[in-house]
Amino acid sequence: MIIRIEPESEIPIYIQLTNQIIEGIAKGELKPGESLPSVRTFAADLGVNMHTVNKSYHELEKKGIIEIVPKSGAVIKSHPRVDQNTYDRLYESLKPQIAEGLVLGLTGEELVELVGKIIGEMKKSP
Amino acid sequence: MALFIAVFVLLFLAVIQAAVPYFVKRTVVFGVSIPEQSVRDDRVRSYKKQYLAWASTVSFLMILIFCIWVAVKKPSDELIILISTAIEFGIIFVSLALYYYFREKMKQYKSGLQWTNELKQVAVADLSVRSEDYLPPWYIYLFPMIITVGLIGYTVYQYDLLPDQIPTHWGPSGEPDAFTEKTPFTAVQMLLILLLLQLMFLGIQLGVKYSGIKLSAANLGASKNRQLTLRKSTSWFTFYTVLLITMMFSFLQLTTIHPELFNDSLLKILLPFGTFILILAGTVYLFVKVGRSDKSSSELEEEKEIMDVNDDRYWKAGLFYFNKNDPSIFVEKRFGVGWTINFANPIGYIILFAPIILIFLLTFLLN
Repeated sequence: MIIRIEPESEIPIYIQLTNQIIEGIAKGELKPGESLPSVRTFAADLGVNMHTVNKSYHELEKKGIIEIVPKSGAVIKSHPRVDQNTYDRLYESLKPQIAEGLVLGLTGEELVELVGKIIGEMKKSP
Repeated sequence: MALFIAVFVLLFLAVIQAAVPYFVKRTVVFGVSIPEQSVRDDRVRSYKKQYLAWASTVSFLMILIFCIWVAVKKPSDELIILISTAIEFGIIFVSLALYYYFREKMKQYKSGLQWTNELKQVAVADLSVRSEDYLPPWYIYLFPMIITVGLIGYTVYQYDLLPDQIPTHWGPSGEPDAFTEKTPFTAVQMLLILLLLQLMFLGIQLGVKYSGIKLSAANLGASKNRQLTLRKSTSWFTFYTVLLITMMFSFLQLTTIHPELFNDSLLKILLPFGTFILILAGTVYLFVKVGRSDKSSSELEEEKEIMDVNDDRYWKAGLFYFNKNDPSIFVEKRFGVGWTINFANPIGYIILFAPIILIFLLTFLLN
């Protein structure tokens, strides 16, 4: 999988990394059980600071997406179903985005359509 | 003979130096990074042509004058070698001067065009690229190292056979022409230096392995091919060099222990000369192989509107890479084929300078 970051962007690099790795897993380009490159390798390939990659990995670990295993590195976890805590967290983080959409003139149906479109994007990739 | 070797080396150097702009990464022109879309720009091409024309003309003129001087004055071999070394520096100096001249021109041209404002800068990494990165395993270096250690043991065992004067330098005829007093240390000194060199080359190979695979966002295919070719070819070239110098040093050590075996042996001349030719041939092969690795790909892959991250600010004077954020030990050269060290990473200094300092200490302090 190809990671693309924009160092000039307003979004911090570690968030760009985190988001792209999550998308990669959602699209099936990265599979549960596979490991991510070591912090040093990844940082060297991108030419960014090791702390940046480390921060992104810790973020992913906190979200429960990867597991940092000694010697194997960062391994992608599999999630057959969502637990209550995660559900609540996603609920809280989506709420302001949905509210923003409503305020900016999207209707409820359009919002559902939007979510469908994003899911479609994740599933269609090879 | 001295003239032949001198002219051969000078021509080799002149051709390589003049051709450099055509063998570097395609998106870096005279140390200035340009977008993939402008690689075939007329101005960029004309600068490269002008560099080639000037560098080759001046170098060949210097070589010609050198040849005429030798023909007229018939100087001694030592003087020929001395002057040809000066001309080697002259050729390097001329190409550096031209490099800086065209670098300034490129910088002006680049700032006039405002590429950096129109194109989005993107850095990329391929998470699966390391499954295609075939580098020689580190333990193949054990083979030449075991030979060296074995020879040290053999020298200790045959200590009595060694002459009272240990050779330290060999002349063009293959016969030793400088000596040092025999002690248990001087007997194996050359092999210790060899062992340090082998360790340094192993360090270089590991440094390459643990350096980033830098891809170009606008042309993934070509840049990946170049980076993988560079890593693989330079690693094998490093090992090839180690094998050649191991052969050379082992031979010299054996002639010191058993001079009678190699009396009037042609090997004494053939081996140093052969090693020299084989290393030059390897260099040309590496230069062409890596230099062409990103030139053949199709244009279809190019993506508009994006360019690589403009990293010119990390290249001090256009030649020295200094990037504290990048954990890479080595990075690809900007002007030339091969690697240069990341001056912000101390590991690079240790790999290159620790063995060299140790060798100096060995030869100067202990003798």
